[in-house]
Amino acid sequence: MDQYPDENEEFELQYQDELEMMDDFDNDDGPSTSHQAAAKAKAVTGSTPTVARLSNSTLNSPQLSQITFGSTQSQIENGADGGGGPVNRRLFGTPKVPGIGRGCSTPFQRMPAIEESELAAEKLQEVDLRPTNKRRLERDLFGDIDDLFHESYEDPLVKKARTEEQRDQQAIEKILELRRKMRETTKTVRHDEISRLKSLHDFKMRNLSYQIPNWPFLPIQRSDLERIYVRFHSEDYEQRQLDLIGARQNTTGSLLGDSKEQVWREANEMVLRRLAPPTQAPAVVVETIDFSSSSSTSGLWVDKYKPRKYIDLLSDEMTNRSLLYWLKMWDKVVFGKVFHSKQEQEQQMAGGAGSGSGSGSGAAAQLNSFNKRTGKFESNGGWRQRKARQALNTNVDDLGRPMQKVALLCGPPGLGKTTLAHTIARHAGYNVREINASDDRSPEAFKLALENGTQMSSVLNEDKRPNCIVLDEIDGAPRQSIEYLVKFVSDGIYSKVKAKGSKPEHNVLRRPIVCICNDVYDPALRPLRQIAFVVQFPPIDSARLAERLIQVAKKEKMKTDFGSLIALAEKSGNDVRSCISSMQFFNAQKHSLTLQDVLNNNLGQKDRHQGLFDVWGAIFRIQRPKKQLAASSNSQNADEPAEVILTNMSVPTRVQNVLTVVHSCGDFERLTQGVYENYLQQKMPDPNFNGVCEALQWFCFQDLLQNQINRQQNYSVYPYLQHGFVMWHLLFATLAWPKIAFPMRGFEFQQKTQNQRNIYQALRKGVSSTSSGVGQGNVLLLDTVPMLKRILSPQLRSVAVQLLSPKEQYDLRHTIEVMVDLGLTFMQVKSAEGHYVFQTEPDLDALANFPGSLGLTLPYFSRQLIAREVDLERIRRAAPKGNGKAVENTKKKPTQTTSPRLPNHLQTLKPKQISSNKPNATAKQQLTKDFFGRITHKSSAISATEERKTDAIVKSPIWYRYKEGFNNAVRKDVHLNELL
Amino acid sequence: MALWVDKYRPRELSKLDYHQEQAENLRNLCKQSDFPHLMFYGPSGAGKKTRIMCLLREMYGSGVERLRNETMTFTTPSNRKIEVMTVSSNYHLEVNPSDAGMYDRTVVIDLIKQVAQTHQIEINGQREFRVIVVSEADELTKDAQHALRRTMEKYVATCRIILSVNSTSRIIPAIRSRCLGIRVAAPSETEIINILQSTCKREGLVLPVELAKRVVDKSERNLRRALLMLEASKVAKSPFTANQEIAELDWQVYLRETANQIMSEQTPAKLEKIRERLYELLSQGVPPNLIFRGLVEQLVNNCDIVLKAKTLDYASQYEHRMQNGAKHIFHLEAFVAQFMNIYKKYLTESVMSVDF
Repeated sequence: MDQYPDENEEFELQYQDELEMMDDFDNDDGPSTSHQAAAKAKAVTGSTPTVARLSNSTLNSPQLSQITFGSTQSQIENGADGGGGPVNRRLFGTPKVPGIGRGCSTPFQRMPAIEESELAAEKLQEVDLRPTNKRRLERDLFGDIDDLFHESYEDPLVKKARTEEQRDQQAIEKILELRRKMRETTKTVRHDEISRLKSLHDFKMRNLSYQIPNWPFLPIQRSDLERIYVRFHSEDYEQRQLDLIGARQNTTGSLLGDSKEQVWREANEMVLRRLAPPTQAPAVVVETIDFSSSSSTSGLWVDKYKPRKYIDLLSDEMTNRSLLYWLKMWDKVVFGKVFHSKQEQEQQMAGGAGSGSGSGSGAAAQLNSFNKRTGKFESNGGWRQRKARQALNTNVDDLGRPMQKVALLCGPPGLGKTTLAHTIARHAGYNVREINASDDRSPEAFKLALENGTQMSSVLNEDKRPNCIVLDEIDGAPRQSIEYLVKFVSDGIYSKVKAKGSKPEHNVLRRPIVCICNDVYDPALRPLRQIAFVVQFPPIDSARLAERLIQVAKKEKMKTDFGSLIALAEKSGNDVRSCISSMQFFNAQKHSLTLQDVLNNNLGQKDRHQGLFDVWGAIFRIQRPKKQLAASSNSQNADEPAEVILTNMSVPTRVQNVLTVVHSCGDFERLTQGVYENYLQQKMPDPNFNGVCEALQWFCFQDLLQNQINRQQNYSVYPYLQHGFVMWHLLFATLAWPKIAFPMRGFEFQQKTQNQRNIYQALRKGVSSTSSGVGQGNVLLLDTVPMLKRILSPQLRSVAVQLLSPKEQYDLRHTIEVMVDLGLTFMQVKSAEGHYVFQTEPDLDALANFPGSLGLTLPYFSRQLIAREVDLERIRRAAPKGNGKAVENTKKKPTQTTSPRLPNHLQTLKPKQISSNKPNATAKQQLTKDFFGRITHKSSAISATEERKTDAIVKSPIWYRYKEGFNNAVRKDVHLNELL
Repeated sequence: MALWVDKYRPRELSKLDYHQEQAENLRNLCKQSDFPHLMFYGPSGAGKKTRIMCLLREMYGSGVERLRNETMTFTTPSNRKIEVMTVSSNYHLEVNPSDAGMYDRTVVIDLIKQVAQTHQIEINGQREFRVIVVSEADELTKDAQHALRRTMEKYVATCRIILSVNSTSRIIPAIRSRCLGIRVAAPSETEIINILQSTCKREGLVLPVELAKRVVDKSERNLRRALLMLEASKVAKSPFTANQEIAELDWQVYLRETANQIMSEQTPAKLEKIRERLYELLSQGVPPNLIFRGLVEQLVNNCDIVLKAKTLDYASQYEHRMQNGAKHIFHLEAFVAQFMNIYKKYLTESVMSVDF
């Protein structure tokens, strides 16, 4: 109970905060401003609040009052001491502080900068998950502010009404907001009076009350005999607040998020690295000193400004969250045992969160825990459990693992895939084990690493975190390794099923694996892609990247401006890494970065691989002059020749541009197909078809060149391929944004052609050699098949065969013969709609079938009839030829066939018989061998066979006698044609 | 043997219905102990294959009619497996190498060479060589034809090659000069009518002359097509009447409809619809040159004399280019667009001249 909550609980706590925040956000967007206005007003007028005035100001916004009263009512219904709530809330402009189980985050959110930063710092301390015992115990200090983490009561119906998407969206917005605020707070150095007063007011608001509050208090009487309740805080809390304030007041302030320990450790590391003796100065001091001193000299900026917290991440929020969610889905397997062994059932139901509550002391702690339990219980029921249930329903297997055991991050380089994987894994409480391209990735080494990483049994010890394997740059790994990985991941499922009942097999995958690659469509990754949870990385917004770059520049005291940083970001294709590297480069040169630098240097300009759609877009679109760039250049230095050209969209530039883009893509064939399938959709002023004709001339030309290259490997014509694109660009490009569809038609055409060809081949194979009149090759397809469809569509009444008219009989006969000749049958197949149809096999109907043409017009019944008759005819034809002769010979056959054929399987036995009664056997053989005397020797032959039966065949343990067209069991000769 | 095309196909040179003189020559050719490589050429449905089979029967007797189907598998140098169907008797082997598409060279090298190299074991078979019948030889790629050329010379002692060709212009001159060309012209209309009549007589049907004439018209002097059409008409309606409907080939109808659409509207949207139709035709296996031909015939029929020459000029230009290219759709569409262009120009001009 009194233990510090473990990682996933922490995560949930934080999550919960976010959720509540976002709940509040959409509830009272408007009021929050009015609160602040009220707070400001109060701060200006003086320290003593006047009730009337404040209530006026709050009542000005009807929305607020509604919400306040609504929640108050529900609180009253709950029977807790919510009576004083509304007054207090109106008094301080924060409606929800004293309510039952009010979350701290809501009021904090609305507070101005100082509280914000404090909150962020707290949150970040949670985010950072260094699992030292010391820190865990330290958590106890927060006992008295535990109500911060309590959830506010909210109508569960309202919560249910909210969909998951909204929640996610809101949560994302909330995080973004939080992040923005945090950035502001870290950025802002100024402390104006108002903000100070505001913070003071808020501090009071939290700690002073006119009513009897929930927290431990000390009543004080004011000069005007009003009783005020002042909050008690523990010493540690006070100390911590002081520390935070101290940290915040540093101008750098960047590492607020890190706990002191981490800062301390990093500082020590830096010191060690420089082989200086570690100093025992206070942490705060070390922090500043180290930072300012290192800013000019040490390390790569890329490492220095690596995001260390979840909140620092630059990448798309949806991506981050989806990956985090996936990782959290592993918690049941990875951390599951903790729940069962160490936590009470009740708390499990409550989501297993907040186990640190019990450590709080005194009445306040009890109150807190009570509040917490009720509040938490309900809010969890509304949100987290549903989430868990949903995960269980949709994509968790019965071991509690997500169905997709592997996450595959993919995206162009420099977007922070590796960073994201590391950060999130650490955030979720894992120890990251990375295997990247620099490691040995032969299948054996891979196997070893995987097994070691996933099957450590002592993982759940107190000081050890479970592993999360990050396979970086997996697209370069050998195929066998990837295959092994796939097997490894899916084998787990198999052996788990096998080992049900007994103890689980040791190679069940119990740890998440994250793979990172650049090109998700690498052929080697295909097996992995099918089973993996694929996270595509969208490019980072260049404005957002520039913001981050500004922060870096500020910390490094580099002179630059936003415009040039945006230009840098765009130039590098939003590659964070290359941006920071170039900044460091410029910093080393002259401690400044201007737009001119960015444009003049070919730094950071990669030979970028653009997507096909980008290339098609460039072909079909005349790019507008870049206004932003032009404007900023004018403001800075107007005499910049490079920029003027860049913004100029004259024909030579456009040609050059298209050539570059097309050349960088290189897949001319696909590009041509794309242009071909899209050019007619473009808006073109071409009434006379001249443009279209010209374009098509170029298509033909392109085709000829391509054919030259493909057939004769004549690559000398290759350079000419790209010029067609220029022509198409000049003919069809407009300023409007083009609608471009992926070229599917060519592919579909190929598929269909192949399909037709297969049917045609099957048909050809079936044609018997006697009916070569149907022709070969195209003739069969063009002349015969269309006519054949009609020949095979006789008009038959749906009656029994015997009742058909002679003409129908004749037609039926004819149809059947043709079908047998051509190897056609009707097969019963289930159609897409679910009912059965008779389809020709091979599918004649599909061949040469044009929209509007008739095809086979046979009704179901006729097809059924024909199908049966065709089968019978087949059997008849397969029957031995010369039936009449066979009938004649049937009586003699036994004698004739038995004796010569016996040796087939009795050869081993035979020598013995011959030795026993040799003369008899020879006589028989002579008799039987004589072909002409069969009839006359019949009786003796039969007796001979009978004799032999008694001799050898019956005696031998196993015997089998095969007689053609003759069955031993039935004494009557029945031929197949008699049955038909 | 149920289709009339097979049932009433002549099996001996003496029973051929037309080109009697040529049949006599062929018989004389067989009477000599030896004959050169042969190349039968003529339009589809003229009776090339029939004559080849008759010739073989004349040479080897009825043994050639004991046929067996075989599917042979070849491995190309690029390790691709291809299947080729062959029909063979003891005396001959019939193969259609164009089944293998662009890998036909492998077939020629492997199969034909292998057969050509083996000597005939059975001495009492009349000839000491086997015959290889290569159907649709004009579909062979240049590579394959070159491969064939050496084989023809080297193994002349053990094998004869009979080519069945639609157009000699697609055969390289080297092969043409090694073969004795035998032209099988399409039967004349009266000949076809006679054949249709005799067939109906043997089937016990009465065929009105008008119907026979219409069938011949529709069949474009293609005897196979004529017989199939007749049979289809018979299934649709019998006994025959003079003005009964004759089934047409679906793709021809579709092609005609396409041409009409080109005439009706000349816009990019229409061009896109035409492209769909062309794709459809191509995917159904209609050869692009036939599409070209069908389109041009229809378009030329319907447009003004001024445009006819231009259309034909463009058509020849684009079709020639198409032969050198690989993506037929480009060239077909280019032709269609070009026609739309000139047609539209012509239309606007004529409207202007009417106005003034």
